[in-house]
Amino acid sequence: MAPDPIISLVYFVVIVLAIILIWRLQKSTRFLQTSQQIRKTLVEDILKQLYHVEYSGRSASLNAMAGALKLSIKKLLRLIEFMTDRNLMRFDQNTLQLTDSGRDYALKIIRVHRLYEKYLSEKTGFDKSEWHDRAELKEHTLTADQTDELYQVLGNPRFDPHGDPIPTASGEILQPKWQPLSSLKENITARIVHIEDEPDVIYRQIIDKKLHIGSQVKMVAADENHIRFYSEGNEYEFSPIVASNVSVEELTEKESFEENMVRLSALAPGERARVLGISSECRGMNRRRLLDLGFTNGSEIEAEFDSPMKEPKAYTIRNTLIALRGDQADLILIKKVL
Amino acid sequence: MGKVEEKTGQIIDLASKLRWQVGDDFHDKLTESIYADAAVISSRVESTRDRKANYTFDRALDRILTSRTFGFPIMILILSVILWITIQGANYPSGMLSVLLLETIYPFLKQVSASVGLIWWIDGFLLDGVYLALAWVIAVMLPPMAIFFPLFTLLEDFGYLPRVAFNLDTLFKRSGAHGKQALTMTMGWGCNAAGVVSTRIIDSPRERLIAIITNNFSLCNGRWPTQILIATIFIGALVPNGFTGLTASASVIGIAILGVFFTFLSSWLLSKTLLKGEVSSFTLELPPYRPPRFWKTIYTSIIDRTLIVLWRAMVFAAPAGAVIWLVSNVDIGGDSIADHAIFYLNDFGLLVGLNGVILLAYIVAIPANEIVIPTILMLTVANLNMIGVGAGEGVMFELDSSMETGAILKAGGWTLLTGINLMLFSLLHNPCSTTLYTIFMETKSARWTAVSAVLPLIFGFVVTFLVAQIWRIIAGI
Amino acid sequence: MINQVTNPCDDCAIYNAAQLKKLGVDVENADYVVTLAGNPNTGKSTVFNALTGLRQHTGNWPGKTVTRAEGGFSYNDKRFKLIDLPGTYSLLSTSQDEEVARNFILFGQPDVTVIVVDASRLERNLNLVLQVLEITGKAVLCLNLMDEAKRHGIEIDDRTLSKDLGIPVVPTSARSFKGINELIDTIHKVATNEVLCKPHRIKNLSDSVNMAVDELSKKISNTYPNLPNSRWIAMRLLDGDQRVLQALQNNEFMIT
Repeated sequence: MAPDPIISLVYFVVIVLAIILIWRLQKSTRFLQTSQQIRKTLVEDILKQLYHVEYSGRSASLNAMAGALKLSIKKLLRLIEFMTDRNLMRFDQNTLQLTDSGRDYALKIIRVHRLYEKYLSEKTGFDKSEWHDRAELKEHTLTADQTDELYQVLGNPRFDPHGDPIPTASGEILQPKWQPLSSLKENITARIVHIEDEPDVIYRQIIDKKLHIGSQVKMVAADENHIRFYSEGNEYEFSPIVASNVSVEELTEKESFEENMVRLSALAPGERARVLGISSECRGMNRRRLLDLGFTNGSEIEAEFDSPMKEPKAYTIRNTLIALRGDQADLILIKKVL
Repeated sequence: MGKVEEKTGQIIDLASKLRWQVGDDFHDKLTESIYADAAVISSRVESTRDRKANYTFDRALDRILTSRTFGFPIMILILSVILWITIQGANYPSGMLSVLLLETIYPFLKQVSASVGLIWWIDGFLLDGVYLALAWVIAVMLPPMAIFFPLFTLLEDFGYLPRVAFNLDTLFKRSGAHGKQALTMTMGWGCNAAGVVSTRIIDSPRERLIAIITNNFSLCNGRWPTQILIATIFIGALVPNGFTGLTASASVIGIAILGVFFTFLSSWLLSKTLLKGEVSSFTLELPPYRPPRFWKTIYTSIIDRTLIVLWRAMVFAAPAGAVIWLVSNVDIGGDSIADHAIFYLNDFGLLVGLNGVILLAYIVAIPANEIVIPTILMLTVANLNMIGVGAGEGVMFELDSSMETGAILKAGGWTLLTGINLMLFSLLHNPCSTTLYTIFMETKSARWTAVSAVLPLIFGFVVTFLVAQIWRIIAGI
Repeated sequence: MINQVTNPCDDCAIYNAAQLKKLGVDVENADYVVTLAGNPNTGKSTVFNALTGLRQHTGNWPGKTVTRAEGGFSYNDKRFKLIDLPGTYSLLSTSQDEEVARNFILFGQPDVTVIVVDASRLERNLNLVLQVLEITGKAVLCLNLMDEAKRHGIEIDDRTLSKDLGIPVVPTSARSFKGINELIDTIHKVATNEVLCKPHRIKNLSDSVNMAVDELSKKISNTYPNLPNSRWIAMRLLDGDQRVLQALQNNEFMIT
């Protein structure tokens, strides 16, 4: 009466695999794109890459460009021809150079990318490891009007969540005075202003260590193999390559280094502290919530007790018992009161 | 008007310019200054005698209720006691209500209709269809809800429930959900519609949607009786007589725990796929303990939760009763619509270890899980043309003993596999229409309502399908 | 400054019988619209029930009342319509609850806003109070849970509080109906302008912020001279509040 179970199971597995396949296909970027759209994406990627290379004061060779964008030389040459025809770039003596209109175009793309990352960080719940890839897709599709609207909604932001300046609509861009963390001298105090999100492998290493933009740092020791520094109650050790992807700005005379600034997560039950502020890594709705609950500069706070599974922890702040998860407590900066 | 618009434009431009000057941290600075003002004022007007004595009792109680040793045992104990009181305590009033509504009022109404010579199909439509469905929903649904919700509300008013959220948050965090979902899930054991409404306590949009969509995996009061009956007939029969009750209870609890597992699984799946980009945040206030006012709480929770939900259920059950009666009594080509539908659904039903009758019953009884078993019995008897059993075409009924019910079902071709798969399907199928309506009202989104309906159905069919195939391979059929 | 609230006699039998009638949900043809705002867990719903005679469920959660509850009472031949807003910690974030509460106070223009606070946690509750006072001047502070505060050894000088905030303050214990009659009387006085409020405005703003707020709010009040809360609207615009921006573009502030 009932159909053969083994045959049914085979059908079932086939259907499931088909669904997974379709889903994968849909996720892949090139799916259902016209050749014009694909070309536009590639052109914009080349412009952006060229801008970054020029910005860092290097010059771009054909081979390096092909390598960076994972394109064959043949294909790249065809695109370059297309772009030089439209006065976006010049190609002489094996170096690629942006024209003025090409630079403007590149800045527009960068503006969309950074604005969209800002948007993702403020208004959505995507993890920060996903911002870059999502913005890479979006930068080719957002229209100028949509970009301006986004700019308005976000309140004319000046920096993206990684600390990069956002170009204005007319193509002006701030030139920040950063230095890589790896070049900081011993005992010098600074503030983290930028964490580079490319390459992905290094970015992930940095965010796994829970290093935050806006944190104060103090260099402990730096040599060729290790960079050791102190920040918000923890000591970190990075290799110079990783550390060079973190940029800092030395503290000015007005800013003082908070020697005893630690994260709320370090407060043990029964201990009391004074809130110094909320890390700039805490954004959007989360930040507003915490502020509204009274996690503002100067508030007294006491750690009360843990949940049976360690997280969350309950804190008394302004006479109210509030439970916070560990990752939130990491974003609140305090100074213990003894 | 043009002048005002021009000025408005100037205001907006100025705002935009000033916003650039002030920078990103306007909100921070504003909140800080408001709290600074608040601190100045409160220091002028507030005086505290003996600060240490504040809240010492609360803290002591918190240390016990959230302690590593006692936290979970106390929680499990309290929740099991509530469920036990609900299921056991509801038997008696449920029995009384069904004697009253089904055995006293129903025959009386039939008599009246016969004496005034009501046309047979009006009589059937109204009394056998609409009235019986309503009576069943009231008799099965009202007593457990009237017990469960007040008890739950007492815990809520005392301030214990936020502590449960606090204790369980880590588990929910791992599946991308909010600790307060522990409460909405528990509330769902009373009634999914009420559980969905209670997700209002979750203020983060993403976690709230997760809680709404997964609430259906909490085995609700309308489904407990089905589970217990089928477990007694099919699983209880496997063991010696003395252990029937125990085995049946254990398997029903097993199903409820499976529901919790599916809650976590689907929460995790949702937070990794459909709900990935929704804003998520966590804050949980643990309010001071306050002695609940017993009678007032009981009164308000019955009015507020029980009656509202019951009313919604009745509004949906009445047309369902009519449909059930109609599909059994409207004939096309000599067979009733029900017979046709059963015929077409049977192949698919058998594939997933169920049968056409069960699938049809779940389609027509979408409005309320309470009437699934009576509908199944009626459809089985009508489909097999059994003589001398039941109450007539399109008239739902239940039998006093599970033995007789079992005999009918077995005559309808049911096996142990059918029983187990029905229990699984009862847990994993679309929410009842009351709950779906509530989901729509809460989310205002047809999309999320559809997801809430389809997701459990997919789970249901996949799970029953796999169980059926593996069963058949092992049994060698 | 403001008139101190006179203490009407609590025990007069006439008081309740002659002047106060609880109207339940019958709120047609109200003379005044009163709205109830407050933090979660301050017994706001208890106050609502005590005022209207309704039995709305009170829960220990924020967001209990997402759809707003309505009720009414009549006092001195005047009919008051009471609207219970969702309990919120603030009006500055963008959660659904806060939108509902904020929009009602701002655009619904209630005749009186009653702010219910937990007397044992005054400082935290003042955060919301000070925000409400930026939007509307016609407000009454209901200092609820006085019994609980007393149990925890906290005393509040309600006269000074009233002076500092510039609005009448009524201590209550709504669970045992203490102070409810005074509250009703005060609501009536504020609604009929018998008591005039001079609401506290946020001080302590840092210089750069204060300058920006002043500049923008001057510009706004030039265009809309009748607007009582131009400063608050300036603050919202500087915070990038899209709803307020939209209201400005649609001329929603013109009606006042």
